Order: sequence, then structure tokens, then C-alpha cells
Amino acid sequence: MSKSLNAGTGWLLGAAGVAALASLPFLGNAYLTTIGFTMLIAYILGQSWDWVAGEMGYVNLGHYCFYGIGAYAFAILLVGHWPLWVAIGFAVVVTALAALLISVPLFRLHGDYFAFATLALLPLVEVLAYNLTPITNGADGIVLPVAQVLQPAYLIALGVCVLTFVVTLRINASRFGYALKSIRNDEQVAETVGVRIAPVKRSVLMLSAAFGAAAGAVQAWQMSYIDPATVFGLNVALVPVAMVLFAGSGLRWGPLVGVLVLATLQQWLLVSVKGFQATLYGLIVLLIGRFMPGGFLRARWVQNVPLLRALAREHHEYMGESDTGTPAAAPAHDLPLPRHRNLGGAPLIQLEQVRMQFGGNVAVNDVSLRIQPGEIVGLIGPNGSGKTTLFNCISRVYTPTAGRVLFAGQDLKHCSRDQIARLGVGRTYQIPRPFGDLTVQENIAIPLMFNDQPLSPRDAMREARAFIEYAELGHRLRERADSLSVQEKKALEFARALACKPRLLLVDEVASGLTPAEVQRFVEHIRHVRDRYGMTVIWVEHIFSALEKVVDRVIALEQGSLIADGPLAEVVRNERVLSTYLGSAAPTEKAGGQGC
Amino acid sequence: MEVLLQVLIGGILLGGLYALVAFGLSLIYGVVRILNFAHGTLLAVSGVLASLAYSGWQMHPVLIVALLAPLLFVCAYGYYHVLLRPLARRSHFEATVGTVLVTVGTLMILSDLTAVAAGATQRNIPLRLEALEFGDIVVSTTQLLILLGIAVLTVVMHLILKRTWFGRAVRAVTQDPVGAQICGVQSTRMKALTFAFGSATVAIAAVLYVLSFPVDPYMGFGLTVKAFTIIVVGGVGNLPGALLAGIFLGVAEGLTGLYWKPEWAPALSVILMLLMLVAYPKGVGAKT
Repeated sequence: MSKSLNAGTGWLLGAAGVAALASLPFLGNAYLTTIGFTMLIAYILGQSWDWVAGEMGYVNLGHYCFYGIGAYAFAILLVGHWPLWVAIGFAVVVTALAALLISVPLFRLHGDYFAFATLALLPLVEVLAYNLTPITNGADGIVLPVAQVLQPAYLIALGVCVLTFVVTLRINASRFGYALKSIRNDEQVAETVGVRIAPVKRSVLMLSAAFGAAAGAVQAWQMSYIDPATVFGLNVALVPVAMVLFAGSGLRWGPLVGVLVLATLQQWLLVSVKGFQATLYGLIVLLIGRFMPGGFLRARWVQNVPLLRALAREHHEYMGESDTGTPAAAPAHDLPLPRHRNLGGAPLIQLEQVRMQFGGNVAVNDVSLRIQPGEIVGLIGPNGSGKTTLFNCISRVYTPTAGRVLFAGQDLKHCSRDQIARLGVGRTYQIPRPFGDLTVQENIAIPLMFNDQPLSPRDAMREARAFIEYAELGHRLRERADSLSVQEKKALEFARALACKPRLLLVDEVASGLTPAEVQRFVEHIRHVRDRYGMTVIWVEHIFSALEKVVDRVIALEQGSLIADGPLAEVVRNERVLSTYLGSAAPTEKAGGQGC
Repeated sequence: MEVLLQVLIGGILLGGLYALVAFGLSLIYGVVRILNFAHGTLLAVSGVLASLAYSGWQMHPVLIVALLAPLLFVCAYGYYHVLLRPLARRSHFEATVGTVLVTVGTLMILSDLTAVAAGATQRNIPLRLEALEFGDIVVSTTQLLILLGIAVLTVVMHLILKRTWFGRAVRAVTQDPVGAQICGVQSTRMKALTFAFGSATVAIAAVLYVLSFPVDPYMGFGLTVKAFTIIVVGGVGNLPGALLAGIFLGVAEGLTGLYWKPEWAPALSVILMLLMLVAYPKGVGAKT
């Protein structure tokens, strides 16, 4: 009850705030209205930038290009006597298409390279604006028809601004938002739990570009004059970015607070300081970068200030709210997984002469094997023998140099990682790779949202609880995954692989480094998911006592080649296996003495 | 034909200078893993300083380098310790945006202060030696000296990287920071030293640059873009690759000016970089 009341109050407060803002231009103070207008534009730019940066983790330093392209597209149409709305719509569409085009090269890059390439777009677009004189009028810029448009421009900007905020809320409550967050944390893992990342990356850039363009168009209308330096200048381009970072990128209220504080400061500086404007901007940008790139709202002292604490909440804290109470009704050993009946017959996974070569190094050497549905197979071999690489070949983290991988009779050659995940291959990583800045619950919910039968975030969160109880992580439900201990991370890793609802589960040394009791739990879990849900399991492990309890057979690799395949008791007596593991006096040339 | 040759020589000269700018940036990026957006601006500002020193106090260009290089070394060393090193402790995202903001802020401050103090006009060092004539082709001795300077500097940098302890450490950290650290390379010290060293090389590049081309306080970022293009094309930490890529870019810009329009030349590097990034997202000659 109180929750819905709170939500209602929130909407009421919001509506009242918007109404108050909307009345500003009618108070007759043009100066205040202009300042308000500047802030609205800055918020649209900053927040739309943050969809790509704060949500997805890609630092797009060329966001201002979209603003400039939008401004130019708008101005050109308006000068050509097109109606206002057509001009704005044109600006938005053209810019989104430009973003689509530029996303092709840009998203081949990551991290610093992406940041740099996007920043380099600014001078490029500026050169275009200067030189495409027939379209852009070059250095002279474009003068729009003179008209007093501050009031309508302000109102349009306010509308776009509200829309920006609503879109932000929608993104964060949607599967799209979780796709962004998983990309931010670990793209490869996102793909192996079923997220198709390429269209997500493309669409978020286009969305961000569209809003940037709207801001540019409205601003151009209000200024009634644009030239290359004002819309593409490096000096102005980073101001909205700095504003967002100053308060807290990725927070619901971060961009808004940052814009309010810094835009006010900026106005004050404009009025009270003469000269050295760029130096002051630069200094502000520099100090923000040096002391608060994570945003001041994330500082510890903020938690002691009630008002600020409310503004400093992460998006997922709001998500958790909608899922209170309703403890998992099902017993802990009942997982919402499909049950596969395995009637034998065709193998579930079949490798034919799979070869993985890195330069001259053959990591997997023409391995062929077939695994029947419902089998539990142990994969053994000393360090560096190619076990994990073999997993990577199956889940397409690597593309095999040669050979075929068949899953349920289907050649995986042309499947992407996310398709393979949705076909039913779940995996863990040897070194756990949870989505660090998301909660345990969200970590499990993400694969549930991107399965063959995708769940809404709300349902996924509810269903995730069963997996979390199963992994005995119930008490850490709302904790960030990077705050877990190593054991807990391994349990989470395993639970997340189960949440992919796989038919084939690839388990990579999930038990190593654990206590005997913990190892025993994994053994039971692996047996349980096979017996009850008909999962097929390949388990890479060095702990033979654990394998012995559960595997049907064992495959041994050495230097990428398959050297033994059979029941564990037989394989451990195999001479080559013995010599590989223990370096016995047997006349084998390669004696790598890796203990187990 | 003579025009073409002149343009080629000019392009090689310009490209060599781009490569010098790229050397420093490449070393810094390889070791410190920081994209220093202010690198080109540092050259522009140093160039303005050098030109002032030449016209104001009639200092010899070599003397200017001798004074400027240690100055930049010390300033960059301090700059790294005060402004950049503390960011390394933060999360990846925060460290990235933090270094971007710090270096871009520096860029804005440097440009603005220089423009206010020395004017936003273009400056150079009008050192004109006797020209050499080969038939119809006139080659200025200054240009030849600059080319010589570029060549010598490349060889010296190469030798430093290959033969000295410092150079080996730089290469080791570029290839594998953790491995280098295990082998006793103190990574923090190395990062600060490399940052300072890479910035000091800008002094030499700056003086050579103003000897043949004008500089102004706001041209720096364009240079950074070019230097980065060169790194992408030539490979991080690969000096010969950078030199070739630089000359390629310089000549391509010259030819653009000759056969098309000079005002499109600045766009060339960005387009080239984007194309290269599409074709080889990890760099063409990525090695040390």
C-alpha cells in the first residue's frame, strides 16, 4: 500500500514540478527563461549521453556531434521554409541515421579507443560543416528567420526534457536496460548468457543521437544562428559530459543534479568573471575528472545527508522495490527448469576434428568426441592442455580454426555466442565473471530475460529467487556481485549458468579451491540437475575424488590432443594419462609434471 | 612535376613531424595506458614558447630544445603524479572518464592561457638558410636539416628503446605490465618516467615543427588526432611503423591539397583512422 502511495506522490510531485517549470517563461523574465532553457538543453544532452556511457559503459566523447548535426539539419530545413515540426523530425531522423552509419566502425572498438575515436569525430564533422559550403554555408553559418521564439522553444525543450527522463525510467525497467548493464560489465559473458549485443549497442547509440539532435534543433531555433564553432567546438562539447560525471553517471538523478549545480555555477562565472572563460571551463573539467569522476553523489558523506541520500540511489535500488515480500514458495530443490527426457539415440554434442590454433600454437588438436544426452563427462588434463579452450570453442568464445561442432544435430558454425546460449549451452568461467556492479538477483535474472522464452524483468527477478535459494545465496540477494567472496562468486557463476536453462552445461573448475563440504555440494548439484532435468554436463576438474562420485566417463586431454576416453577407473590407469600427470618413467617424450 | 616533388618533400617533412609527435604519445599510451588528449596541445604551446624565445631573445633553436626538454620533463613528471596517478586506483570506467576530463581540461587551459598571453596568432621561427638547387627543384637547407633531425631523433629513440635499461623496461611494460612488474620493473616509477620522457620528446618535435610550419595555441588537438591515427596505423610502441604511417599521412595530406582542396586535408586523418579501425581494430603493426 505505502509503496503505491509513494509512487503516486512521486508522480504528483513530478507533475507539479513540470507545471512550475512550464510557467517560467510566462513570468516575463527573459533572462531567467534563457537560463532555464540552457539547463533543459544541457539535461537532454547529458542524460542522453549517459544512456551510452553510464548504462552501457561506452564513453562517447563525440556526443556533441549529434547535437550539431541536428542543429544543422533543422536550420537547413527551416531556412527552406519547411514547418517547424517537420524540421525537428528531419533533424532527429537524419542524426539517428548518421549514428547508425557511424556505429559500424565505432563499435569495433572498446574502452580508450572508442573514447578517442568518438572525440575525433568532432573535428571531422567540424571540417565537414566548414567545407560543405553549398549545404552548410561554411564558416558564415546559417542565419534563421528572425522571430521571438524563446517561449515556444522553452516549452518544446521542456517537453523533450520530460520525455528524456521518462525514457530513462523506461530503459531502466526494461530488458533493454539490462542488456545495456550486462554489456557495461562484461560483453563476452553477456553474449554467453544469451544477450544479442550488437543491435542493443546500435539502438542505444541511435536513441542517444536522436535526443541529442532534438536538443540541437531546439537550441538552434532559440539562438537563430549557428556556425561550425558553436555547435562542434571542443570547448563546449564536453560541458554536458562533465555535468553528468560531476554528480554521478548512471544514477537516476545524477544528470539532473549535475546540470542544476554546474549550469548555475556556469551562469555565475559568465556574469562575474571577465576573460579566461575557457581556462575556467578547463579547470572545472579537470577538477571533476581528478576528484570526482564517479560523481559526488557516490561520495560517502552523501549518505549522511537525507535529501542527497535519496538522490544518490542507484537504478537497481528502485528495481528491488517492486519485488518485496513473496518469498520463493517452491522448495529450494525445485528449479524452474524444463525437464528433458533423454531417450538415447543421437548425441547431444558432437565434435568433429575440432582444431584451435593461435599462431603456431595448437591449443586444441583435432579433437573428436560425442556426448550422449544426460551424460556427465569429466574433462581432465594438466594445466594448459586445452580444456578451457575446448569449452571456448563450443560456446564460440573462440571460432575454431577447423572442424565442426554439432549441437543436437545442428552445426554451430554460423551461430553467434548468444544464439548458442539460447540453443541451450550454459557455461561457467574458471575465474568467476559475475556482472560486478549488479546485484546477485540481477545477475541471475539477466539470463532469464534473454532465454528462448524471455521473461520481463519483474518476472525474471521473481524467478531468479529459486536459483538463488538453490545456490544458498538468499542472504546476499541484494548485494553487489563484486562484494561476494570467492566461494559465493563460484556459486553465483554456477547458478547463472543454470539460469540459462541449458541442455548442455559446461562447468569449468567450479570446485577447485573449495572446502570438501563445498565440493560435495557442487557434486550433488551436478547430479541433481542431470537426474531431475536431464541436463548433460561436461565438467572440467582436477579433483578426482569429486569426479569419481558423479561422472559417467572421463576424457583426458594432453597438449590439445585427446589421449583417453572411458570410465574414470580405467583412464587413471592409462599409461599416457599417468605420465602426463605424474611424469612417470614411462617412455613418453612429454613429461609435464602438473600435480592434481 | 616540380610542384609534385615539392609537395612530396613537404609531405614527407610534415609526416615526419607528425611521427615525432606520435612517438611520445605512443610510448605514453603503451606504458601508462592513458590517452593524453593534451599531447598535441603541448606541442603547440611549446612551439609558441620556442618562437617567442627565438624572436624575443634570439636564442638558437638548439639551445631552446636544451632548455625546453628538461622543463617539460619535470612538469610532466609532476603532472602525472599529482593529476593522473591517483585515478589509477578507481574503477575502470571512472579512471577512463577521469583521465579524459583531466587531459582535456589541461588542453583547454593550455590553449586559453597561451592565447591570452601570446595572442592567438600563428607563429614560427623564421630561420632561413641558403637554399640548395638541384636543377629545377629547390630544397631549403632548413628543410634538409629538419629531415636530418627527424631521422636522427628516430634512430636515437630506437636505440634508447632497444639498448638501454629504460627502453627495455618500457617495452616490457608495454607488452605485459604484470610480467614486467614480477621481473622487478617498478611500474609506478616507470609510468611517471615514461610520461615525462614522452612529453619531453615534444620539445624537440615542437622546435623542429616551428622551424618549418606555423603554430597557434588552438591547433594542438588536430595534431593529437593525427598522432593517434599514426599510432593506430603503425601499432602501439612501434616506432618504425609510426614513422612510415606519419609520412604516409603527411604525403596524403599534401596530395589532397594539390589535387583537390587543401581545406579537406584535416578530415583525411580522421577518415583514415576510422577506416583503419574498421579494418584492423587492434592496429596494423601492433608489436614492440
